Amino acid sequence: MRERMKKVKSVQYPQHEISFILNGKKVSCKTKGSAVLLDVIRDVFELKGTKPGCHEGECGACTVLVDNVPVNSCLFLAVNADGKNILTVEGLLHADGTLDPVQESLVQNGAVQCGFCSSGMAMSLKALVHQYENAHPVAGEIKKGIPSRDEIKKHLEGNLCRCTGYVKILDAAEKLFLNNE
Amino acid sequence: MKKNLKVIGKPIPKHDARSRITGEAVYGHDIVLPHMLHGVILRTEHPSAIIESIDVSAAKKLPGVVCVITADDVDVNNISYKRDHPILKKNEVNCIRDEIAAVAAETKEIARQALKLIKVKYKIRKGIYDPHEALKKDAPQINKFIGGKFSNKNIAETFHYEHGNLAEEKKKSAVTITRRFTLPRVTHACMATSNITAHYTKTDKKLLLYSSTQVPFLYQRDMAHALKMNPSDIRIIQPVIGGGFGSKLDMYPFEPICALLSIKTGRPVQILYSREEEFIASPTRQPMIIDLTVGADAKGNFTFREINIIKDNGAYTSWGATTPFVIMQAFSSLYKIPACCFDAMAVYTNNVFAGSFRGYGNPQATFALERMIDLLADELGMGKAEIRLLNANEKGEVTGQGLHYETCGHKECLETVIAKSHFKKKKSPEKSGRYKRGIGLASMLHVGGGAKIYRSDGCGTTVKIDPYGFCTVITGSTEIGQGSETVLAMMAAEELGIDLNKIKIINTDTDVKPWDVGVHASRTSFVAGNSLLGAIKILKEKLNKKAAQLLNTNDSYFDYENGNIYLQNTNGGEPANAKKNSVLKKNSEIPDSSFVKLDKVVREMHFGEPNELAIASYFYEPSSKFQDKTFKGNVSGTYAFASQSIEVEVDTYTGNVKVLDIYVAQDVGKVLNPLLLDGQIEGGILQGVGYALSEELLVKEGRILNPNFHNYKMLTAADIPNIHFYPVETNDKQGPYGAKGVGEAPLIPTAAAIANAVCNALAIELLDLPVTPEKILKALAEKEKLKKQTV
Amino acid sequence: MDFNIITPVTVKELLGTMKKFQKKKFRFGAGCTDLLMELKRNPEENLTVINLSRVKDPLFTGIKKSAAGFRFGAMLTAHKIMVNEEIRNNFKVLHEAAESLASTQIRQVATVGGNVCTASPSGDMACALVALEADCEILGITGKKGMVPITGFFTGVRKTVLKKNELLCGIFVPAKNKKSKNIYSGFVKIGTRQSMECSVVSLAYHIQADAGGKIIHAGVAIGSSAPTIRFAEDAAHYLVGKKFENISVNERKEFAARVLTYATPIDDLRATAWYRKEVLFNISKAIFENDAKNSR
Repeated sequence: MRERMKKVKSVQYPQHEISFILNGKKVSCKTKGSAVLLDVIRDVFELKGTKPGCHEGECGACTVLVDNVPVNSCLFLAVNADGKNILTVEGLLHADGTLDPVQESLVQNGAVQCGFCSSGMAMSLKALVHQYENAHPVAGEIKKGIPSRDEIKKHLEGNLCRCTGYVKILDAAEKLFLNNE
Repeated sequence: MKKNLKVIGKPIPKHDARSRITGEAVYGHDIVLPHMLHGVILRTEHPSAIIESIDVSAAKKLPGVVCVITADDVDVNNISYKRDHPILKKNEVNCIRDEIAAVAAETKEIARQALKLIKVKYKIRKGIYDPHEALKKDAPQINKFIGGKFSNKNIAETFHYEHGNLAEEKKKSAVTITRRFTLPRVTHACMATSNITAHYTKTDKKLLLYSSTQVPFLYQRDMAHALKMNPSDIRIIQPVIGGGFGSKLDMYPFEPICALLSIKTGRPVQILYSREEEFIASPTRQPMIIDLTVGADAKGNFTFREINIIKDNGAYTSWGATTPFVIMQAFSSLYKIPACCFDAMAVYTNNVFAGSFRGYGNPQATFALERMIDLLADELGMGKAEIRLLNANEKGEVTGQGLHYETCGHKECLETVIAKSHFKKKKSPEKSGRYKRGIGLASMLHVGGGAKIYRSDGCGTTVKIDPYGFCTVITGSTEIGQGSETVLAMMAAEELGIDLNKIKIINTDTDVKPWDVGVHASRTSFVAGNSLLGAIKILKEKLNKKAAQLLNTNDSYFDYENGNIYLQNTNGGEPANAKKNSVLKKNSEIPDSSFVKLDKVVREMHFGEPNELAIASYFYEPSSKFQDKTFKGNVSGTYAFASQSIEVEVDTYTGNVKVLDIYVAQDVGKVLNPLLLDGQIEGGILQGVGYALSEELLVKEGRILNPNFHNYKMLTAADIPNIHFYPVETNDKQGPYGAKGVGEAPLIPTAAAIANAVCNALAIELLDLPVTPEKILKALAEKEKLKKQTV
Repeated sequence: MDFNIITPVTVKELLGTMKKFQKKKFRFGAGCTDLLMELKRNPEENLTVINLSRVKDPLFTGIKKSAAGFRFGAMLTAHKIMVNEEIRNNFKVLHEAAESLASTQIRQVATVGGNVCTASPSGDMACALVALEADCEILGITGKKGMVPITGFFTGVRKTVLKKNELLCGIFVPAKNKKSKNIYSGFVKIGTRQSMECSVVSLAYHIQADAGGKIIHAGVAIGSSAPTIRFAEDAAHYLVGKKFENISVNERKEFAARVLTYATPIDDLRATAWYRKEVLFNISKAIFENDAKNSR
């Protein structure tokens, strides 16, 4: 019996100490080398707004921003978050309870139904806003003007939604940029 | 009593959208209870096998494992619609989803490790994966719990329906066409995977379930039956649900398994499906083979439909086996049909079992019958629009099946999409070039006021107003993302004249909320809406009495607006003059004899005579009838109609279909909230496009080949067509403010219209879904071959 | 899925780590998008992942243009490739391949080196690089570098010429021919959806013509059509000397037929071999029909 247990327990790999900025606050924790950022955000820091949709990088429900660019947190190694700036949907909310313009636009335009894809959608859109905002040069190339509907579609290709048919989400994105202009 | 609507009809964003977009909403996946264990399920490795032995001893010894159960450890009843489904399988397994054992452990990782330590010895059998094979005399009996009831041991359910004189109508027919249509297995793929958290408390022997069921009261009863408990000892709390689409109509084994793990350990237990498990172990739309024969006279009037359907039931029977209720309705009553003879059977196989899915059999039926109308039109040399308009349903019609169309927007829907899409101009596609365009039409009929397939199709509501003028609506109905909370809040705001943000909806707790049959059959706005209006009516009678007393009048007509109750101008038209100045008056606190504040009335009722709370309850049961044994009767409070005209562009080099524009007109009765209505239409349509073109759960010898989003091709934002929606308002007097159910309709005709458009573009005949690029190239290659042969 | 992870930050550390693990089981992780999925499906015991994402060295992350061509580090993400103006203007086929890869989120982490080393027959950027006749720059455990043409880099499904003591550090794309004035370059990816696809079949082409429109050099590669991405040399060669704009219908068919000789596709979940061949033939002849329209 002991033998069998040994087999199951297998090798214990070393843990890693990581520190990063999470929604504006410096945090640190110990994590397994194989842990992904999604699990650390949800289970260690108990921020449940980032949703586990597939754990395979196919649905985008777990999208977070790492240094202002959108990544699937389910395929992003937690150790690679060390030293980075991570923004989750909880970080979009302003201190006084008002929503980020991205969230507000999604709400006002009927883009939220069951809501399970919504936080990922909001984060992807936030990333697009960053690309067009001079205030956030970290995002890399800064684009001029506002994105076309086709560009928004392409940008959101990695965020699956089963409820809305995407139309209201695209409407929300378009209006967001028009209002910002 | 027509007054201008202030809230109803406005594009009001979803009540709960803010909590869902900020991460505040707690979904089943987000629940963490103190001392909670994690449950996982061991499923079979083979779709059909004898279980020779199960050894869980090693798993039990793994540190961190708290409980391991197999069928031998539990005393339970079978579950499912036919009670033909054991929760844990003991002697044999019959499909790849089959649950053999379950583990509860301190962490998910330990639970998963423990699964690997469970040793099951199988004796593999040859399974039966084709319903036709299952119907053969020498086929072994697949489900041992049902038998003898039908002519064949592998039949789970049969339906026979007929109306009219079939022989006569066949004689009248100038054209008769027979075809076989094959419909695939598709799945809901809800963004949130299945989940449950069970919490059994040993002290009071009560079971609390956090479950994403869409039918909490039926679920409570089913769970009690499964676990041999008293239903009232089971409390269901519905956390925020991440999409449903019909998938949560049945109770599945993982749910009582989770309850059993909690009962055994006395600790909360949570089971969350992985995405792969979701694809493998949650239900599908019914795969079907539809043999259809139709006829029409020389003028194009439809004469008859003769239908024979074999449904692959899978190994067990879910509510989905009753989809023929809806399917026969489409065949018997969509367009005017003098005679109809319908047979359907659900056949057991060793495939994964099917369940219910938005549209409930109707997309399959509509695909077959609307494809067939195009074939009839071609045969008769008629236009595809003309033949449909000629046969369209009409107001006042009572169909062969007994459906009574008190309102009917079918013709208007057809006319609208034909005009808006310039259908007649576009019907002949260009002959050459790589890209070919085509256009297709289809309509649909669906229940629009619930569906009486259970003994009651009702919903209960309690409404109360607190001393501060806030209203709480306690409704039996369920929110699964579709927006019912918002629509109910709007109705309450409209009727009581108070702000939307002063209305709270309580709808998640079976210990609190009154009975409701559940969210399905596009019924919630209609049934829960009528229920709420009924409760408000009773409440207002109480409030009116007190208001009359406070206003010193014998009058009993009042208007509720701006948080006030106004004496109504009994001369009709505008309310009393005072109202126009109400803002001024309210501010200056000058007593006025024509209105009184709502919260004051509530306080006066409570603290003065008659010492009563402002609270009222009502149960609404639709006027619909339970169908008789021949399936005749007016099964719904009202009926919804829709037509879609869809234009596509086909790449003849690759077979890829690009859906360009979808024109949809739908008889919604009355638009309650255009923003939410659009959301239902657009979301439904895209599911329909996926059904038409890209989605299929591939199954080989009982195993699922594509249990992931990578190969199960749900459409992305980059794939969406332009959707042009034209609501048709027929103001059904049965519906709240005239509204009908809308939720399922939008996806029902989409696949049919797309297939018709592709066939129109390429002059080919497609009888199967999905219309994949490969099927299109094959059809084109065959057409080419035929051409060469005939030349 | 569990594994040990080591994250070197300099090339020296990286080589040291490689040395240390020569006798043990290890894998390189770049963007890790493929690797994590693979390990989830087929967990390996006692595995160490050498995490390359923190190696800050131009050798892995730099972009350098010279007269001879264009060199970029293997750790460049698909996103960086996609937004690079130089690549967009000169190597459209690579730009389009990067753009068509998976999703916005994946492109932020997936690397060109990872795409090449995964050696999937459906690799998008890899297919484009084969059409561009790129060279793979290989770093040995001793620090010595060597070049291998990408056309000879793949040896089978998920197999490459790389040895355990080597890794891919960069890609070199040769500059266009000096006489080349017109370039016809594109990546055609076929799948059911517009996005999020793994190609059912793909075609990469990079055709250079002189001022008169005469083709002086051509590179053509096909994906998802054989165990490895294939360089359709004979088809490419067939084009040389012809005027791109004047290629006749029969010549198009001949070209497509030659492309097809490199295809030995299989039936799988996504399509049958028949379909793959049919489509490959069609999209091959189509590149001369309307260059703009058939590139996604």
